[in-house]
Amino acid sequence: MVSVIDYVPGDTLLHRLNPVTKLAIAAAIIVAMFLADTYPMLLGLLALTFALGAYAHATPKLVSLLKLLVPLAVVMLLLQTAFVRGGEPVFAWMTTEGLVTGSKACLRLLGVALPLILMLSVTKLNDLANACVEVLHIPYRYAFTFTTALRFVPVFSQEMNTIMEAQTARGVEYDTKNPVRKLRLMLPLCVPLLVSSVGKTDATALAAEQRGFYLRTRESSFKRYPMLGRDAAALAACAALVVAGALL
Amino acid sequence: MTAQVDKPIIEMTHVTFSYGTPEEGDAGNNAGTALRDVSLSIGAGEFVGVIGPSGAGKSTLASVMSGAIPHHYHGTLYGATVVDGHDTCDVTLTDISQVVGSVLQDIDTQMVASVVEDEMLFGLENFGVPHDQIEARIARTLETVGISHLRGREVATLSGGEKQKVAIAAILAMRPRVLVLDEPTAALDPASSTLVFDTLRTVRDEGVTVVVVEQKVALLSEYCDRILVMGAGSLVLDGTPREVFSHGDELRRIGVDSPRVARVYNSLARGGLVSGAPCLTVPEATEVISGLVQPAPKTSCHVIGAEEEAREAGFRAGSKHVAAPRPHAQGAQPVVSLEDVSFAYPGSAASVDHLDMRVYPGEVVGIVGQNGAGKTTLTKLLNGLLRPASGTVRMAGLDTREVPTSAIAAHCATLFQNPDYQLCKDTVLEEVAFGLTLRGMDEGEARARAGAVIGHFGLPADEAPFSLSRGQRQMVALASVVVTEPEVVLLDEPTSGLDYRECMTVMDTVSKMAERGCVVIMVCHDMEVVSDFAERIVVMAGGRILDRGGTLEMFSNARLMRKASVRAPQIIELSEVLARELSPEFAGISQVSGIVDLTEEMVRRG
Repeated sequence: MVSVIDYVPGDTLLHRLNPVTKLAIAAAIIVAMFLADTYPMLLGLLALTFALGAYAHATPKLVSLLKLLVPLAVVMLLLQTAFVRGGEPVFAWMTTEGLVTGSKACLRLLGVALPLILMLSVTKLNDLANACVEVLHIPYRYAFTFTTALRFVPVFSQEMNTIMEAQTARGVEYDTKNPVRKLRLMLPLCVPLLVSSVGKTDATALAAEQRGFYLRTRESSFKRYPMLGRDAAALAACAALVVAGALL
Repeated sequence: MTAQVDKPIIEMTHVTFSYGTPEEGDAGNNAGTALRDVSLSIGAGEFVGVIGPSGAGKSTLASVMSGAIPHHYHGTLYGATVVDGHDTCDVTLTDISQVVGSVLQDIDTQMVASVVEDEMLFGLENFGVPHDQIEARIARTLETVGISHLRGREVATLSGGEKQKVAIAAILAMRPRVLVLDEPTAALDPASSTLVFDTLRTVRDEGVTVVVVEQKVALLSEYCDRILVMGAGSLVLDGTPREVFSHGDELRRIGVDSPRVARVYNSLARGGLVSGAPCLTVPEATEVISGLVQPAPKTSCHVIGAEEEAREAGFRAGSKHVAAPRPHAQGAQPVVSLEDVSFAYPGSAASVDHLDMRVYPGEVVGIVGQNGAGKTTLTKLLNGLLRPASGTVRMAGLDTREVPTSAIAAHCATLFQNPDYQLCKDTVLEEVAFGLTLRGMDEGEARARAGAVIGHFGLPADEAPFSLSRGQRQMVALASVVVTEPEVVLLDEPTSGLDYRECMTVMDTVSKMAERGCVVIMVCHDMEVVSDFAERIVVMAGGRILDRGGTLEMFSNARLMRKASVRAPQIIELSEVLARELSPEFAGISQVSGIVDLTEEMVRRG
């Protein structure tokens, strides 16, 4: 039931950093992940992500995400070993080179998804939107669109769930073991889901306008998001991380 | 502000509105007219309720007042709406919303933030409230609405009633002069609904005009100064609750219920016993009837015995309008049985424990309790959407743990609160026939049977279900339940969002199914409906069954009702009070006509 992007409350340094800095940290880890090419660096970056997660008390969130990503990573590994056929054969079709590129690709997959989710889970969406508007000068309507979209993800998945339940209770075999059949049965449900989501977004637009959405400027936000010394320090660390990633 | 007191804050003159463009309107779609020639004015500081059957234009009226029409919803608008001295067509929606704050029907779509405090900030920031005043405004508004303790909470963790209050507070913080709410209690249980109306009363006492669209007549009559009754797009009645509910027959004709005590009064008035404006609450009704009937002489210790006896007699005889519980056929097996069933949602504290229940063919059973009592979990255990963690659930001879949900569905049909989750076909005919084809019936026969049922309900067979009104969509869902002739029907809040007439159609239909031997189990917040149609009820609280038994017996048990935070129907409350204060003969009456007949008889006796 726990949504992956839910906010994890806390008062650690990571929580208190400027939301923009947090985005920068996630971006730095991701860039470093792509630049790095050695196991110690890749594993080190992953370990850094988990260390930050443990510090911000967000470990359960990372673990639950890991459960989703690991099967994906395994599939990727298998595909990579099938396509990359250099070096010594090890087992069946797998070769040393295939295993190396495959496993690095897997680590990168994890290393890209986890930092982003970690940073989103220690930042309130509103703070993120407001800080992006204030610090990065992004127009508010884009920031609002982005945060609303994120907010609607659990709402819609809840909606889809309810629709599936209603249809199952009617006797549609969503509990079938055959995935192809299940997918074919699910297609008609797009109609009720679409109808309800169009209605919801329209209502959201109306509600936002009735609360002065179009009057909002960069100065509107009550909370301020100044870049402080700790943010500068964190950004410096980010730069160092990217350089390290490029070198190692 | 002082200059405005006598001036109306909202004034509508000859407003007619239809959705869609005039071309479409000319194409024979006259039903598209949502409002017809509505003229009214709302004075500053009034608490106005709007009621009417579904499709009567209540929401449209609210949209016109809040400026969403003409600025957001497009269509053809005639007449003029003046809000605080400005025609709504001449100013922007943003300007109007600084005077008129509106709370939407679906509050999830209104929320912009994940934390209560941020939700409150949004409007204040946008309207440029000086930042040094914001803190005080938020604190004061939260206090007015009574949710200061929720300030740091995440919206997703709030209950329905709390969310509704946050939505109200977020609008109120902008200090609108008028608050327009569209069915704020539609998703709430009776206890939370009352709390929301308490909040609205506080808001009104702060000087804000409140306009609320609402279906619950008992709440409207208790809280509002003035009630507007809409019917087919027109304003039918406009007056104080007493004036409006003295037109009981007219209201019933257009499909609006009256508070049950008002019905008692109106019936007595028809018999010439009383005259004037009807009573609206149980104490008022008690006073009226006490004035007509001399109290029975109280003889010390004998009274208790007599009262008990009369109560017993009442139960034995049953009310003349609820069918007496049908005796189980000799050796009949229960169709539905739960034995020591427990279930807990993973990762949350919600659970149900040790549920025991048996339902026999032809029974209508109501399940009552607060939100979160475990009612919905119970229905999901019954239709197989959830499997018990321990204990057994048997549905028509099937153990729900051993067969797939789709197999259970062949015996048990569920009517959901929101029909839109159920509908997925292009035409009404296909939709209704769908359930039959899922059970393996061939297309031709399924369509023939579906056609017959559609005809019975008077639905348009070739229209797309989503183009119909909310009430008609619920009728389509009902038709697709009826057509499958299930052994068990589960109703989850069958009456929410429906007007009185549609509600009666649903309930009469399922009652007929029960007479043919079908088991009907309904989860329902409307205790009047439960008391009218269910012969047995199951009272739940905190995931457990507190008690179960005859409807009247359960509702008369004041201690049990308090424990479950359920308010017994007005008539049962009234008959209890009358039995205590006036005559034990009133004990055990659950219908309006019972009270009326007995009162008339006692008056004749002198």
